[in-house]
Amino acid sequence: MHDVVVVGAGCAGMRAAIEAFDTGADVGVVSKLHPTRSHSGAAEGGINAALGNSAEDSPEKHAFDTVKGSDYLGDQDAIEILANEAPGDIYQLEHWGCVFSRNDEGKLAQRPFGAAGSPRTVYSADITGHVLIHVLYEQTMKRAAQGPLHVYEEFFAWRLAIEGGRCVGVICWDLVNGGLKLVTGKSIVLATGGMGRIYRATTNAYACNGDGMAMALRAGLPLKDMEFMQFHPTTLYPSGVLITEGCRGEGGFLINRDGERFMARYAPNALELASRDVVSRSETTEIEGGRGVNGSVLLDLRHLGAERILTRLPGSRELAMTFAGVDPIYDPIPVRPGAHYHMGGVATDNWGATEVDGLYAAGEVACVSVHGANRLGGNSLMETITFGRRAGQAAAEHALSSSPGSISGAPLADAERDLGRLLARKEGERPWKIRDELGSSMLENFGVFRYGERMAKQLEIIAGLRERFENVVVEDKGDVFNTDLTGAIELGYMLDLAWVMVQAGIARTESRGAHSRPADFPERDDEKFLKHSITRWTDDGPELSDQEVRMTKWQPEVRSY
Amino acid sequence: MRVALKIWRFDAQRGERALKEYEVDAPDEATLLDCLDIVKDRVDGTLAYRKSCRMMICGSCGMRMDGAAVLACKVRMYEIAEAGQIPVISAMGNLPIVKDLVVDMQPFWGKIRAVTPWLEPGYADPGEKEHVVAQKRMDVIHKESLCIMCGCCVSECNSMEADPDFLGPAALAKGMRFVGDPRDQASVERLQALSGEHGIWDCTRCYFCQERCPKGVDPRDAIAKLGAEAMREGIDSDMGAKHAKWFVTSAKTTGWLRETELVPKTQGIAKSVKDVKFAMGLVKHGKVPPPFPPHVAKHVEEARALYDLVKHDGEQGAAGIVQGEKALGRLEHHDDGGAAAARGPYGPGSFAKPYLPGEQEDAE
Repeated sequence: MHDVVVVGAGCAGMRAAIEAFDTGADVGVVSKLHPTRSHSGAAEGGINAALGNSAEDSPEKHAFDTVKGSDYLGDQDAIEILANEAPGDIYQLEHWGCVFSRNDEGKLAQRPFGAAGSPRTVYSADITGHVLIHVLYEQTMKRAAQGPLHVYEEFFAWRLAIEGGRCVGVICWDLVNGGLKLVTGKSIVLATGGMGRIYRATTNAYACNGDGMAMALRAGLPLKDMEFMQFHPTTLYPSGVLITEGCRGEGGFLINRDGERFMARYAPNALELASRDVVSRSETTEIEGGRGVNGSVLLDLRHLGAERILTRLPGSRELAMTFAGVDPIYDPIPVRPGAHYHMGGVATDNWGATEVDGLYAAGEVACVSVHGANRLGGNSLMETITFGRRAGQAAAEHALSSSPGSISGAPLADAERDLGRLLARKEGERPWKIRDELGSSMLENFGVFRYGERMAKQLEIIAGLRERFENVVVEDKGDVFNTDLTGAIELGYMLDLAWVMVQAGIARTESRGAHSRPADFPERDDEKFLKHSITRWTDDGPELSDQEVRMTKWQPEVRSY
Repeated sequence: MRVALKIWRFDAQRGERALKEYEVDAPDEATLLDCLDIVKDRVDGTLAYRKSCRMMICGSCGMRMDGAAVLACKVRMYEIAEAGQIPVISAMGNLPIVKDLVVDMQPFWGKIRAVTPWLEPGYADPGEKEHVVAQKRMDVIHKESLCIMCGCCVSECNSMEADPDFLGPAALAKGMRFVGDPRDQASVERLQALSGEHGIWDCTRCYFCQERCPKGVDPRDAIAKLGAEAMREGIDSDMGAKHAKWFVTSAKTTGWLRETELVPKTQGIAKSVKDVKFAMGLVKHGKVPPPFPPHVAKHVEEARALYDLVKHDGEQGAAGIVQGEKALGRLEHHDDGGAAAARGPYGPGSFAKPYLPGEQEDAE
């Protein structure tokens, strides 16, 4: 038995594992991918900390921008922790060897980002996630060479083992060798990331299916703010891969079919650097108003010139050339909003603790909440580091001060039985069509703008898909690298979460952040809805309740950019 | 479009290999990875391959297409399909196959771990602020830090095929990432470790790693930089290092390679004794000129001038070699045959110049 088992090895998971190890714990890391394949590595534009290297800045300003960006739904105590601890965490990463870009003085460079009052985003060209995930893996390897830190690579986490109200382990399918394995620990940290794959158009990797949220939901834990899915304004047409907000941070324009910088009509002060929810809505309005190009708008970098594009945005250029056949030095890039980041997740306190003894969560799977109804660009990488560290420390302290939980073997036996049933089924539908229909219908009916009747229709569609999923067939019956099996399980996760999301969306009869209802409830309603939504799983499906937002200094104001 | 693929399947449980052909409908913009997904979804759910980000950054989907390593998510299929080609897809080379297109990456990671792949800053307490380092100095490891550890270079490495213990291009590039980092305090120890057996001098310079790397890391350049840095630190006891040094000395002094002296200078006099008979045979058949008197090239002063130039440029070691290099920035756009570059960003046929609302009249 480990002291701490971390599930997921992206930035939050590895940061948690490193901190738990440094606190003195024996650490196991379970990941369905090799750690460096995790989707944190695809983050591009940067990570926010008020270092003040580019212009005057302060944690207080960072916190206020984040509160306002969250449309006042973020928990302000958590946001202050993020803003205050971010600079120290960035310096730590730099001293571990992270390859950040430098300013003329040789200090860490910082670029402007959406809805930020100061250039606050530390970066490495436009591959910031890549350099972060590699430096964290380097530090993980270093510790594994020194002491008890073991990475269970390509272990697919399927269920949490909770016994007597305490989380004691995670049941995994060993992808390379086959077989269910129970990895046990005194504390478990979920760091499994997001679930963009619920949508057809998404920046997210194939791995992002909401595994941890669904595992927690089915284990009886509350999920918080599940209606808030962020649509990133600049995802490449047609492939959907991310083109960084850093393009606009470096001065890029968004233009419509006529070449008009339309953001001036929606956010006259911030223009292209308004918050993501605002920009995505503006783009959708342009496209639906017939002023788009092939269902997209255009991101114009031409005026930045070749030198700036080649040094600051080489990865974005590579993506545009490879997947859209466009060289941004000479032509604007076709972009449209796409599902990118889920603000909600497993409800935690400011140390990552959930309501189940011994279970913690950090990163996109968790909802502390620092992002509220809309996340600011550059804040998610920072959250993975700061709250990954905090969760790792808290999980280690819990493990080192408690005796092991009792393990009966019943959860593993249940899992073996259910897996046997799934693999034994020979007649039925294969998963792909259900998955594709889920993705298309969610985009259509629960996207940038939401309408009462479309959301009601989506609930029916999800119910139909869930019924079909009851008879889903896994064609591969083998033990070795059976991704047909894990793909079917992931689809099950997404069908649970889609139901939860839409139900929470229907209940929130206001417009706030990423949840926008232009036809029936276009205004924010602080009287009724300055509250988090909380969803729990019951035998009759998801059940909704609410929770107060934790406020410290800032009262809600009208939000404009 | 209609895409046909031949895929080398491998059933690990039965130990059987088979080449199977598949044909599917795919959207025109589909990549090789998209096509594999269509095969797996609609034709054969047992097909195994790794994938995740589908945007060339996670490094999961390395495999071979017609015998050369590629990232499946980077290969657009349109031209291949339109030309009626049926590419053969197989697992990467130099690594054991687990199933179909999935290889066991443990030997790969073992070699990464062997190069002490973390910064050795020489202290425990990081202090209050960041290191101050010029961007230009950090550019020395720009290319090496782009590596996504996909294994495409290792798949193609000829030296590794001959010597499975060779550290290989990915691990050596990772080594250079730290040797070239001004914040690292263990460069000399690193260079000593990498200069040993199975290290930098065992590379045969075939440049396959450089050619197949999907991210422009240029591992062979990294190995060359390590060699230069090792020499600069006087770490030259390996035969490979001595061999390279003799090339230089020979060219500097007489303007051409004195092959007869190459063997003793590389492996030492004592070890060369056993090769004397072989060498005499070569002399007898006129394969090598007699060592005495040394033949001096006609324009030896040109060779010496060249030597001085290279020596001057190389005084900064790796920092001197790589300044200004930008791997991704070097990419060229060929989809349109260079038409966009010819007309420029705002030339005839380009998209209109952007304007702010209300500015339209001024713009026109």
